[in-house]
Amino acid sequence: MKKVIIVQRTDPGSDELKNKRQLSEMKDLAYAGDYYVIGEMIQSRYPDRKYHLGKGKVHELAMAVESLNAVKVIFCNELSSLQLYNITEICKCAVIDKFQLILEIFALRATTRRAKLQVELARLKYEIPRARTIVSHLKKEERPGFMGLGGYEDSYEQDIKGRIARIKDELGHVQNHNESLRSFRHAHGLSLVALAGYTNAGKSTLFNAIMDENVAVEDMLFTTLSPVARSMDVMGRKVILTDTVGFIEDLPHWLIDAFRSTLDEIFFADIILLVVDASEPLDIMHNKLLTCHETLWEQVHDASMITVMNKTDLISRESLNEKMEALRYLIPNTVLISAKTMDGLDDLRQKIRDRLPIWKRKEISMPLSEHSMSVLSWLFKEGVVHSVKYADQIIVDLEAREEIMNKIQSFSVK
Amino acid sequence: MFDIIAVDISGRHMENDEYFMVCAAVSFSISPEHIDKTHKINIRHFISKNAPELTDVVTMVEKTVEGLDPQATIVMEAGDMYNRPQWLAASMFSRDFKYQESLGERRAIEIAHHISVSARRLLKNKCSFNLQSDRENIITK
Repeated sequence: MKKVIIVQRTDPGSDELKNKRQLSEMKDLAYAGDYYVIGEMIQSRYPDRKYHLGKGKVHELAMAVESLNAVKVIFCNELSSLQLYNITEICKCAVIDKFQLILEIFALRATTRRAKLQVELARLKYEIPRARTIVSHLKKEERPGFMGLGGYEDSYEQDIKGRIARIKDELGHVQNHNESLRSFRHAHGLSLVALAGYTNAGKSTLFNAIMDENVAVEDMLFTTLSPVARSMDVMGRKVILTDTVGFIEDLPHWLIDAFRSTLDEIFFADIILLVVDASEPLDIMHNKLLTCHETLWEQVHDASMITVMNKTDLISRESLNEKMEALRYLIPNTVLISAKTMDGLDDLRQKIRDRLPIWKRKEISMPLSEHSMSVLSWLFKEGVVHSVKYADQIIVDLEAREEIMNKIQSFSVK
Repeated sequence: MFDIIAVDISGRHMENDEYFMVCAAVSFSISPEHIDKTHKINIRHFISKNAPELTDVVTMVEKTVEGLDPQATIVMEAGDMYNRPQWLAASMFSRDFKYQESLGERRAIEIAHHISVSARRLLKNKCSFNLQSDRENIITK
């Protein structure tokens, strides 16, 4: 693990608890990025245009980097390219901010072609407003072109724009494919259920518990990057359950845009399971829930939401009730579970079943023939057959979506 | 279900040397994820020569919510209160006050916003129609 120093600048008079929470989240992010935090530095002041911190503090940071042998400095705040350049010059080591760290983590975890493209797109989108300044700083001694009148800035920016266009084009194909897959699944009566929530809330553990799967699970931020989808049977109804990337506070728009095709799995779902870590302190839960509501806002329209209070085995019932009472305006349709001990999973299945699109239930009669038997087998595949009685006719107690009911109507005995 | 009054103010910019502002207050029953019921809508317009300050915003909101459910909490966007901390904004109101948080509250604010923008446009158009008809009258005379 590489040694890093974490730096945080806070506005004077800002919420101290919030600052502490952000710093601790930053440490978790650094750990997820395979870094070992050997020091931290906090300064309370308004940002400096050139160094973000005060110049004296940056020199102090440079001394700390030298004495602790840190290879990198990570800032909790967003840095401009000029600030990055100036701090790097003084500290003589790599300097990154929170968003670059998130990009590094994503790059580490990206395994599929789609995830790699998304990470590349996010990186380029982050880079483009900074590209001109970075290049002009790096090449300020050089005067390229005929008689030294040329410049690198434009060509570099053009290169980035070209690459963004190519990646978007390729991701567009993936998105179209996903859209057609979604409509195909809907047309075949499969409802889409997505796991959403703050990063490290336990979405993948829940996914494994419900599906009996073996998706990678770690006590670390952003373990899941690419969505994983599996079909499951919820009391006779087939649904597709998707595990998705977690949300994080202050996620910039360009990052959400880059991961649109992944987040669409949540935005177009019929049911969203909002997973919440119930073992955390109330103020942290509140802030994380706010982030989730903010990310879901504007994207989610008709989806039904179920709040899954996870990790309930780690707290007492009284404390859980207190938290639920305080947060009840943010947690619709609550289910208490522990994905680790598998408690409450049946309640969750029942809640999902209650919120699935309503199917019609009807008794239909078919003539006793070989063709009816093949129709019956098709009905077993497309709907829920509650009972079958064989007499002079075949009487089926069927629950299915409207299209199937209409189709079977023409075949059944009047 | 929670009872709230979603409030939005449109027209906080200068137009023809004045601030023509319309405040819409909509009383809802909401759940965390959606709106269950819309009860009542109040709309008021205010004209000012100067840019509204925080106290003016509070006065406009208080006047508009008059007659709506007194138990309901006023919900607004933080930007409408110049991003002041919630405790400060809440202390200025005679009723319960909070900034938008849940999806249901955001949806309610969105509706209040559509109402205030449309009402302002309607009031503005009404003024211009009057002007038009006056002119026609003058011509026919």
